[in-house]
Amino acid sequence: MGPTPRTPQHQPGGAARPSQRRLRRRMLAAAAGAAALALVAAGCSSGSSPSSAGTTPVSGGTAVFAEPPASTPNYIFPYTSSTYISDINIFNLQALLYRPLYWFGQNGQPTANASLSLASPPLFNGTKVTINLKHYLWSNGTPVTATDVMFWLNMETADPTDFGAYTGFPGTVVKDITVVSPTELTMVMDKPYNATWFLYNELSQITPMPAAWDRTASGPSDCATTVSDCTAVYNYLDGQAKDLTSYVTSPLWSVVDGPWKLSAFNADGHITFVPNKSYSGPVKPRLAAFQEVPFTTDTAEYDVLRSPSSSTKIDFGYLPQQDAPAKPAGAAVGSNPLPGYTLVPWTFWAINYFVVNYQSTTGNGPIIKQLYFRQALENLMNQAAVLAGPLRGYGTETVGPVANTPTTSFLSPQGKAGNLFPYDPAKAKSLLTSHGWTVVPNGVSTCASPSRCGPGIKKGQGMSFTLPFATGTAWIEAEMTQLQSNAATVGIKLNLVPKPFNQVLSVAGGNCVVAKLPCNWDMANWGGGWSFAPDYLPTGEELFITGAVANSGGYSDARNDAMINQTLTSSNLQYMYNWQDYLSAQLPMIWQPQADYQLTEIASNLKGATPLSPTLSINPENWYFVK
Amino acid sequence: MVRRLLQALAVLLLVTVITFGLLRLIPGNPAIAVMGPQAYRNPAAIAQFDRVYGFDKPWYAQYWLWLDNLLHFNLGYSWKLNQSVASLLSNHLPKTVFLVGISILLALLFAIPIGMLQAVRRNKFADHFFNGFSTIFYAMPAFLLGFLLILVFAIKFPIFPPEGPQGEGVAVLFTDFQALVLPVATLTLITIALFSRYMRSSVLDNLTEDYVRTAKAKGASERRILLRHVLRNSLIPIATLLGLLLPALFAGALITESVFNYPGMGYLFYQSALNQDYPVLLGITVVVALATVIGSLLADVAYAVLDPRVRYVSQ
Repeated sequence: MGPTPRTPQHQPGGAARPSQRRLRRRMLAAAAGAAALALVAAGCSSGSSPSSAGTTPVSGGTAVFAEPPASTPNYIFPYTSSTYISDINIFNLQALLYRPLYWFGQNGQPTANASLSLASPPLFNGTKVTINLKHYLWSNGTPVTATDVMFWLNMETADPTDFGAYTGFPGTVVKDITVVSPTELTMVMDKPYNATWFLYNELSQITPMPAAWDRTASGPSDCATTVSDCTAVYNYLDGQAKDLTSYVTSPLWSVVDGPWKLSAFNADGHITFVPNKSYSGPVKPRLAAFQEVPFTTDTAEYDVLRSPSSSTKIDFGYLPQQDAPAKPAGAAVGSNPLPGYTLVPWTFWAINYFVVNYQSTTGNGPIIKQLYFRQALENLMNQAAVLAGPLRGYGTETVGPVANTPTTSFLSPQGKAGNLFPYDPAKAKSLLTSHGWTVVPNGVSTCASPSRCGPGIKKGQGMSFTLPFATGTAWIEAEMTQLQSNAATVGIKLNLVPKPFNQVLSVAGGNCVVAKLPCNWDMANWGGGWSFAPDYLPTGEELFITGAVANSGGYSDARNDAMINQTLTSSNLQYMYNWQDYLSAQLPMIWQPQADYQLTEIASNLKGATPLSPTLSINPENWYFVK
Repeated sequence: MVRRLLQALAVLLLVTVITFGLLRLIPGNPAIAVMGPQAYRNPAAIAQFDRVYGFDKPWYAQYWLWLDNLLHFNLGYSWKLNQSVASLLSNHLPKTVFLVGISILLALLFAIPIGMLQAVRRNKFADHFFNGFSTIFYAMPAFLLGFLLILVFAIKFPIFPPEGPQGEGVAVLFTDFQALVLPVATLTLITIALFSRYMRSSVLDNLTEDYVRTAKAKGASERRILLRHVLRNSLIPIATLLGLLLPALFAGALITESVFNYPGMGYLFYQSALNQDYPVLLGITVVVALATVIGSLLADVAYAVLDPRVRYVSQ
């Protein structure tokens, strides 16, 4: 912290004289007085203790929601650029105020929720899609119309350079869009698509925007009908969204169609929502207010949860993974260290993997292209041990390209059966030896027979790979160390390189050929895989198809491409099953466990918050307190 | 004085050049750090980001642009936090200044009498007691002390809240003193440990000086010697230390702010480093460098006030 004081060389000796003693007493008194002052300044505590829950619902009350650590909402405009698009901006701010055209998530499933959607389920007739809007109102009294939908579509069509996480829809997929009436809009697709895919992965992106937003600084504009007006409107609204202090009072942002409106917004993350009295949806808020509070770390949040002296009473918070007692095998949830709260694991509609680079220029590309090698590596990834160990039982094994938690109709029977590649070092060794490798346990296995090792692999070439992984997540670090140790038993040398998340992502987050990035890397693990939102149907066209930029390892397989294309045009689930069963075994990436999004702690007297949506959306309008 | 000010300006400029250069050496792409991997789907978005924030220019051009903006009091914009750096600093800096300021004041209030007591009672119980105290707290990391204080005073015996005052702006600091106790205590205890050791050492040195012997020979009382002569001279190293300690205190505040959910400037710096939020990092660096330079100047002034010989030489 600073320079160390030097040791005194002089020794002033002699016994203390009376005057010295008085001085000492005064100094002691001063020190004691200062200590007392600090304690007195503290005063008395007035903390609250966890309440005991009754069963009688009560109206009103403020529910306090703990925001994820070091993450606060900071962008209100629901047509969001890459810079500001995030789960917390979408689900903890925008969606509470501005409803998407189609809502996803109901009863703990990532499926379309007809009740909460602004439009009835779309009607498909060949290439024609008809969207009928329900009779929702904006808070300024005007109806939510097909023109408001066109406003969003035109903005996307105008294609401001940065279109966030959107797919470019309507783009080439839709040939024509017509506003038939204020409540009806039709689209003509370029060919018949799988209706579920069109709804889940294309229409799912739309958030109608009110006419009050169709303006620039110089006055009203007409982006809703004229695409060329949209860039100026976007720039104006984006600029307005940069003024966080105006969020509550702005005549733009105060026009909402969701169940909530803002009553306070602090840039530090303290946000208060109150019910939108003119909300026209099916479930009206029962709480008097919904409040979000920020935290620097999960430990700081946990301290507040378990401290009776805290002035903040959290009703919806989280238990840090490292503080969770291990969940017994087979149980839905483990013991909860927090009295007065219910522990609810929040599962996530996602898969997890780490990337292997088929386009690697390090010389290891030919090895990575060999299926037997990837299978051996997957056999050495002990997903079950990672789940039982560092993840404390809270998570799931990734079994293929379709998420398996929650179990949905999209998951094939094979996927439901579990992991195709359980931990099996003997099988890994056998795969290597049977393909011409001399296995050197705790050394580096070498190719003894190039014809059997595979094209491009030289005689004597070793199995040694550099694997950068993201630091900061304890279970990923533990998993990587474990994999390194397991791999060493069959002579696969993994040189682990811990790096900050951003650096790993920067190297391996994009397809190096498509994005014109350096390809001199073999493998990389940034700790997260792929979440299915706002493209909720796990069809794989953005992640696994040849040339997709998010296909960062450059996996390419004509059969896989054809199977994905089948899932886009046919609603027969068997096509999706065939594809995922094929790709699960092909291992385009190395599957790794998917941790639960959060170990949620819900106050015992707060009801209506469960089941939690795997899309990560929240519906505090369903919440209420009991006494 | 003018020469000293010019030196300070040169130091400031050098700090910004070095910081700017080091930040540009960090591997990784700021555009991807900010926009996430989905940005790879649209190389035009990355190009636009680079264009808007000047990353398509050579580093010296970027530096010149930044310096030009700085001279026009424009510290830039945080692309991650969607706020201007000036706005972020105006929200976070007062909180850290308040936390660090109170901690230093309290630390001085305790450390000076403790150090003097130790020196006067050298090798006695009080000396050993406070030596033990200062060794423990000097060696203890801020995060550990913070967690211990929370465990004891917020969870086991719920007297204080486990987090600092909550809410935007400075006003909240004056309405929730109770919430300040634990974070202030954390920083104060560690700083007391440091200052009291310096003070003890300095008083011991001075007690053996000729002027003390002369004062005693002239019949000055022990109290008068200690308070009028020894105290003043013993404060000289503390004054120097104070000026140079500011950056270290900001580092200590970083840990304390994280532990106590008190988002001040230290915490902002840490988060910005993780997010490669260069404008914020540079803004904070300028502020801390400025504080260090001012602290150093003030230490010089204090040194001259405390030691008349320095004043005589400068005249």
